[in-house]
Amino acid sequence: MNNEVKTWLEDGTIDIFLGYKEVDHHPLPHCFTKERLDEVEDLMLSPARYSLEKIATHLAEEDPDIKIGMLARDCNGRALNVLYLWNQLNPDNVRTVNVNCCPSRLKEHGDCSYLEPEIVGAYKKQVGVDNNMRLEDMEVYGETERLDRWMYEFQKCIKCYGCRNICPVCFCKECSLEHDELVGTGPLLPDMPVFHLVRAVHMAGRCIDCGLCEAACPMDIPLRLLYQKVSQIVMDLFDYETGTSAEQPPFSILGDKVTLEPKPIEFAKTDSL
Amino acid sequence: MKESEMECKLVPSVCSYCGTGCGILFEVINGKIVSTLPMKTHPVNEGKLCIKGWNLHEHVNSFMRLKQPLVKTFGRFIKTDWDEAIQLTADRFREIIEKHGPDSIGVLVSAKITNEENYLAQKFARAVIGTNNVDHCARL
Repeated sequence: MNNEVKTWLEDGTIDIFLGYKEVDHHPLPHCFTKERLDEVEDLMLSPARYSLEKIATHLAEEDPDIKIGMLARDCNGRALNVLYLWNQLNPDNVRTVNVNCCPSRLKEHGDCSYLEPEIVGAYKKQVGVDNNMRLEDMEVYGETERLDRWMYEFQKCIKCYGCRNICPVCFCKECSLEHDELVGTGPLLPDMPVFHLVRAVHMAGRCIDCGLCEAACPMDIPLRLLYQKVSQIVMDLFDYETGTSAEQPPFSILGDKVTLEPKPIEFAKTDSL
Repeated sequence: MKESEMECKLVPSVCSYCGTGCGILFEVINGKIVSTLPMKTHPVNEGKLCIKGWNLHEHVNSFMRLKQPLVKTFGRFIKTDWDEAIQLTADRFREIIEKHGPDSIGVLVSAKITNEENYLAQKFARAVIGTNNVDHCARL
């Protein structure tokens, strides 16, 4: 891996490589360049996961023609696909080194920070939503109970905007969550459940289920589960799998035509959360 | 080949807003801090931040930031140089201390300056002015 990156930097295939390097015993994201080629020896994989593609979009904002290389786990790859579709990055300017990913229902082994599910306390299990729950387990609760449980989770929110800030596919210049007439930045608690549901709706066709938002949430709100539900609705209604589909998402406001047709309505499952 | 090289650094630091001491990571592109990230492996915050921490870079780049001293003259703030500002402050301090005693002065230090500067400020209050009236916005 290190030699490949070195060759790429040397022959100008890429201008900058985003990977990880250990600084003061912390694995931190690092930009490797041609000028400091010997640093590439220290390039490493990291158990902690940062959104390298977000750094890449910031670089591309400065210089749209910059050629970027980066380490890519599966989630990074999916995020990149979404960013290509939304014209935030140019696929011709990005090269990836694919590396092993976090374990999921699809993968047994991984080297990722999401490896160990967090231990959920008894009270949260009783009145809230268990972060390790699967979507189908959630259906066991009735509609009112589900709403109550979600409301318990939402009222914990300290409105740090961390879920939005860390999200690799959140790139809008103007955000609904900061719009005075929609949500507004000031008061705590945030408008419930509008704050979280506005974000959830905006995640439809965008969320690539990387789990960074949940990992960054100081209040352990099971955001991943919430957005999985939204993605499932998009899947059921439009047959669109975010991050792997090569077409524009159904809610795209770019371009002048609708790219996706909804599936026939009788197959659609639209039950609420 | 490019003529202008992109400079991109990720600088680990500690949040200056309160005494908790969350580990943060500044994303610096071409010499400008473009965003703040929580440090995932930091034992204090474990990849989480509050809203103030998330916006640490904002006050660095703020257009409201003072870049040179101002002196209030006839009710208006006038730009001046450091020598004049320091001389003026020292004169006024001496005047006040002589008239009302050193405890008529209090020193409020800031979370936006370094630990060492904070140390100097309290030393200044105790040793030079002669008061224990020192406080800090991050005293939790």
